[in-house]
Amino acid sequence: MPSQPPLPPLLTTYLSKQPESSLTLISSILGATSNWLVLRYLYAALGTSSSPNVTIGSDELANGVKRKVVLVSFLRSWEFWRAEAKRLGLDLARLADKQQFAFVDGLSELFNTPSTASGAPTNTGSAVRTTLPLRSQPGTVPGRGPPSTVTAERLGNEGLRQREPGTAKKLHFTGHGVAALDVMEKDIIAEINRQKSSMAEGDEMLLIIDQPDFLLAATGASMGIGATEMAEWVTGLQQHAHATVLTLAADSPLIHNASTSGIQQSSPIETEHAAFAIGMAHRARSVMQLRTLETGAARDVSGVLRISRGGGWTGEAEDNLEERELLYYIQRDGGVRVFGRGES
Amino acid sequence: MAPVNLSHRRTHNLLLISKLLSLRDTASPLTLLQDSLEQPATPLIKEYIRRAKLSKVHVTFIAFETLKKPDGVDAFVSTRRKSPAEIVEEVAAVYQPASATGPPRRRLIIIDAINPLLSSRRLDPAFHLPSFLGSFIAPSGPSTGKAEASLVVTYHQDVSALPQQNHYSPTPLSVLTYLATSIITLHSFSHILAQKAARDRSLAAPVFGLEEEQDGVLLGRLDKLAGTGAAEGIVLELEHRRKSGRGVLEWYLLPPSSRYSPQHVKEVVTLLDDNVLYNPPMEPDTNPDEDEPKSTFELGLTDRQRRDREGVVLPYFDAQHGDGPGEGGRILYDMGEEDDFDEEEDEI
Repeated sequence: MPSQPPLPPLLTTYLSKQPESSLTLISSILGATSNWLVLRYLYAALGTSSSPNVTIGSDELANGVKRKVVLVSFLRSWEFWRAEAKRLGLDLARLADKQQFAFVDGLSELFNTPSTASGAPTNTGSAVRTTLPLRSQPGTVPGRGPPSTVTAERLGNEGLRQREPGTAKKLHFTGHGVAALDVMEKDIIAEINRQKSSMAEGDEMLLIIDQPDFLLAATGASMGIGATEMAEWVTGLQQHAHATVLTLAADSPLIHNASTSGIQQSSPIETEHAAFAIGMAHRARSVMQLRTLETGAARDVSGVLRISRGGGWTGEAEDNLEERELLYYIQRDGGVRVFGRGES
Repeated sequence: MAPVNLSHRRTHNLLLISKLLSLRDTASPLTLLQDSLEQPATPLIKEYIRRAKLSKVHVTFIAFETLKKPDGVDAFVSTRRKSPAEIVEEVAAVYQPASATGPPRRRLIIIDAINPLLSSRRLDPAFHLPSFLGSFIAPSGPSTGKAEASLVVTYHQDVSALPQQNHYSPTPLSVLTYLATSIITLHSFSHILAQKAARDRSLAAPVFGLEEEQDGVLLGRLDKLAGTGAAEGIVLELEHRRKSGRGVLEWYLLPPSSRYSPQHVKEVVTLLDDNVLYNPPMEPDTNPDEDEPKSTFELGLTDRQRRDREGVVLPYFDAQHGDGPGEGGRILYDMGEEDDFDEEEDEI
């Protein structure tokens, strides 16, 4: 199968154009995860400048806007994102050095108290997890041109060892309720401001929050955190970024059990998650819904992507967001093909 | 009957919606907008703001989920990390009566979503929704230069509410629907059309979005009809409680805002029943004389035959005379001259 361009042509308009203070919600289910789409957002924002064959002068996008990204991830580690981005031809470690990208780690030490020592005993769990998504093969995308795979790999490994403490700001959940959220919010905003310090006028800051629903599920009512508090937390972060992309799980039990309460009492996590996810969809300008094919698995289709206008879509003339439904296929090499129904 | 009824509704109910949306005469102090992901209330709120601007009404926007101040809003109140009491205070503070002498400026207060407030964990258990909403409409401050305020509250129907703390108190939604003087439920026009098409064929009406209960589907709305521009718009299902207590139910259609200029003064809302797509005009009847089936038999009656038929006394009328058991209920038949009496078969 031929290699695919890093940005599927059908999605380019959706990925690259984010109006100011807009929220994009990506909903995924177990069989159709959102990683690939988040990576495409990363590439759309950072892609042109990371490619080594273009000169420094063309750092900027066509419209002269430079973009920076802060990625807050609650379900996946730095190692995962670094390796996956590399398959697209994005060197996140290098971008982090250039102050164009920052990673905030909400996974590895979220509920561990930060130990003053090297943190060896507490880190075992995450150490196991980080090895999983490592690919044995660096998988450079053909046509990306030279950085030789060896140097890229070596750089990456070095970067991991030396820079990880600096690059990956780790979030800690300490305390109770809103106060704990406030601490995390402050950490993330500090990271955003650190990026902003080197921003010129007109530059855009894209904030990507990967699966904050994990935080809601892990804390819940006993910690004094519900859908409203989570939504307020997101709002607080949104205020500091140009645009925000949020990924959430939208599996049927998490969404629908709460509404069909006539039959059985839904559990708190079902109620809270549904309220959070649907509330976010009400705020979002666009909602990207990922799901599997209703007709079952297919060899050449990984899933369905439905792009809809959310409740926050203003309907103004300059903000035309076309709603459509597309199929996508993730190839073995990580490339993604996006096509309409009936096309191939 | 129907056409008379429709023209009556056209005059009265269109006047009513125009009065409600333009906030004339404070026809509705508390309006509840019930929206869903399939049809968000954003366009209707924009229409409220547009009309408020035209009639120079002061607009306050209380944002529970909006980040950016919408166009045309005079005061934007963010509610992040604020208690209900603080919100009330701030809303009262942003409005200054222009002058003591002039007539007070009317006021529109919009709450973009009440759900986050209702499901907040930090909410005081003693929080009382009616008095919270009431304090906006009737500020109990010393400033007696009282402005007529209208409150428009949006409630997302599809966001599940938290289980009640107190099992004996009504749910927030019941309280809201009880308090509201008008309730507007929003529907997507294309969905209404699809449901009507199904109903006309006696099929089960289709469901959209969350109601499909499909894995991974939050929104079902795809504006397939956008290209034609025909089925754009919002259907408003209005329930208005008059001061007299009489209720008015009506369905309206609000066209998309791109169809008219922001300065447009004439009423843009129409009755849903007046829409050509929803209520296609009937085929005019062809000549009514020709609607009898054609046959070789003569199915009609002559005048004489009709007169004779009307003269027949049916047995149950006869039975009511009650001449004694066994006497009522006989078949009384007067022989006509064309009847051929056969002694062996017929008996009277």
